[in-house]
Amino acid sequence: MTNVFLKGIEKRFGSVEVIRGVDLQIDDGEFVVFVGPSGCGKSTLLRLISGLEHISAGDIYIGDRLVNEVQPAQRGVAMVFQSYALYPHLTVRDNMGFGLKVRKVPPAERQRRIGEAAATLKLDALLDRYPRELSGGQRQRVAIGRAIVGHPDVFLFDEPLSNLDAELRVHMRSEIAALHKRLATTMIYVTHDQIEAMTLADKIVVLRDGRVEQVGSPRTLYENPANIFVAQFIGSPKMNVLPADAAPLLAALPATPPSAESVGVRPEHLTVVSPGEGVLRGEVTLCEYTGAVTLLHVALDGGHDCLVIYDEREMPGVGSVIGLRAEGQNLHFFNQHGQAILASAHST
Amino acid sequence: MTQRQIRILYRTCWTIALLIVAIPFMFPFVWMVSAGFKSTTEIFGAPTLIPRVWRWQNFIEVFTYQPFARQYFNSLYIAILVTVLTLIISSLAGYALARMRFAGAGLLMLFLISALMVPEEVTIIPNFFLIRSMGLVDTHWPLILLPVFGPQGVMATFLMRQYFLALPKELEDAGKMDGLSRFGVWWRIALPMSRPAIAAVAIITFLSSWNLFLEPLIFLSSLEMFTLPLALSNFNDSYGLPLWNLQLAATTLAVVPILIVYLIAQRQIIESFALSGVKG
Repeated sequence: MTNVFLKGIEKRFGSVEVIRGVDLQIDDGEFVVFVGPSGCGKSTLLRLISGLEHISAGDIYIGDRLVNEVQPAQRGVAMVFQSYALYPHLTVRDNMGFGLKVRKVPPAERQRRIGEAAATLKLDALLDRYPRELSGGQRQRVAIGRAIVGHPDVFLFDEPLSNLDAELRVHMRSEIAALHKRLATTMIYVTHDQIEAMTLADKIVVLRDGRVEQVGSPRTLYENPANIFVAQFIGSPKMNVLPADAAPLLAALPATPPSAESVGVRPEHLTVVSPGEGVLRGEVTLCEYTGAVTLLHVALDGGHDCLVIYDEREMPGVGSVIGLRAEGQNLHFFNQHGQAILASAHST
Repeated sequence: MTQRQIRILYRTCWTIALLIVAIPFMFPFVWMVSAGFKSTTEIFGAPTLIPRVWRWQNFIEVFTYQPFARQYFNSLYIAILVTVLTLIISSLAGYALARMRFAGAGLLMLFLISALMVPEEVTIIPNFFLIRSMGLVDTHWPLILLPVFGPQGVMATFLMRQYFLALPKELEDAGKMDGLSRFGVWWRIALPMSRPAIAAVAIITFLSSWNLFLEPLIFLSSLEMFTLPLALSNFNDSYGLPLWNLQLAATTLAVVPILIVYLIAQRQIIESFALSGVKG
């Protein structure tokens, strides 16, 4: 049973507070993704779990064991780094077996584990090559292989795909997902790419300025964001946030809650209609054709800008005035502090 | 003229030009080797590049005139010892200065670097008194301790620190995740990855120790303790005038290790000078 429990974690570098009291429960076998903008503390939090950084306050439990003062290698975790961190002077085989050698695992057992990992990751033919002789994707697989051979309780991934090109990233993403399914080990994954987060995670942790903004499944975060930050961070293109008085123009129901300051609606949930009375009107300022859909940039009458995903063949021209509607269930209301007003709260 | 002929002509012209430029650099060396085989009379006679009479006994007399074999060995073992000690100390100190966070690390580096600005000649007298108070005059210790802990050691530490600073920190993190201690990270990751810097420090230190003249001149008085540079200046007749044939034969022998080092590690030597920013 390898759950990870973070209790009141804080981290300060001098006077700079990077992590400001994080509480988090990660269950055994769960794939958890830390996501957030640059500088939000997601990589630092991962390094605190790994033991590469010391916590300033709080407790870290890995598998019910308090590990605050435990060395990285004794925590039962393995880490895959953003730059792969393969030892350039060692072959793939030696890179994968290095940790086992340090831990004095007998050579026969070492070779068996390397062979197993190499077979899993299709690295058999590359075992005697040096990292410089490998492509980016192959290096990434070796880095994962190096983590696998130690049979860790928890895998930590620090933006492992960010150095790969778009096509390879998609491929490696699916490989990591398959690996998680096969190993069923707890995995904690850091990324700033919310598509990676959505596709891989059982649970997403959205971080901002060293605090957890929301924890939940990808669907929960997408459908019920806790605040404007999460609403705009999850989903691409990001959610439109408009003044609350635009809501009745978008949909007749539900009624706008009295405490609502703003209303959010995702670009994919907006429908283009004729600009008649009682609809949200705006002028198309830019059409971005992406193949599958067209992204319309619309300047609303109230002076706000709005993005609309348009999937019809005939697209409105730049400068044309259009109307916008949405389903009431797709509207998200936020109060003056940017916090979501729960559906149950505003339906009563 | 075909393209190939133009290329051959270009290469030939270029080679000839380089050979002409190389003559002034090669000539003193060739002259030294040639004069090492001549008699004193022939050296001062009409100049000849190839000796009229090959006087092989110069190379035997070099060893009988003074304990040249012993002096040769002195230079060799001192240079090797200084190189090994400098490598150990500079790589450890350089790693600490590059990677360990401690109060005053930057200030310490600045202090060390500022020591490089003091000319050797300024510190030689205080150093002499220090060494004499330790009872180490006419021993090889000053020739070992002063380079290792003096400006050359500082220069080596600085070079190693700069190289360690450029190593990706994630590799060291990976080492820690694999179970290495800080010393293990230094020994098994940082050092193997720093081969160019190690080669640079080794070559520069070896050459510097091999060519050391001022310290042996100040600290040594017994012929058996002499190192090569001092021994070379000691091939004189009873009037104190140089015995050129013996001196040049001995010099020819003295450059052999340097030539071997150059031949084996040509690439590293060029890289090391580029890395350290010093001239050969």
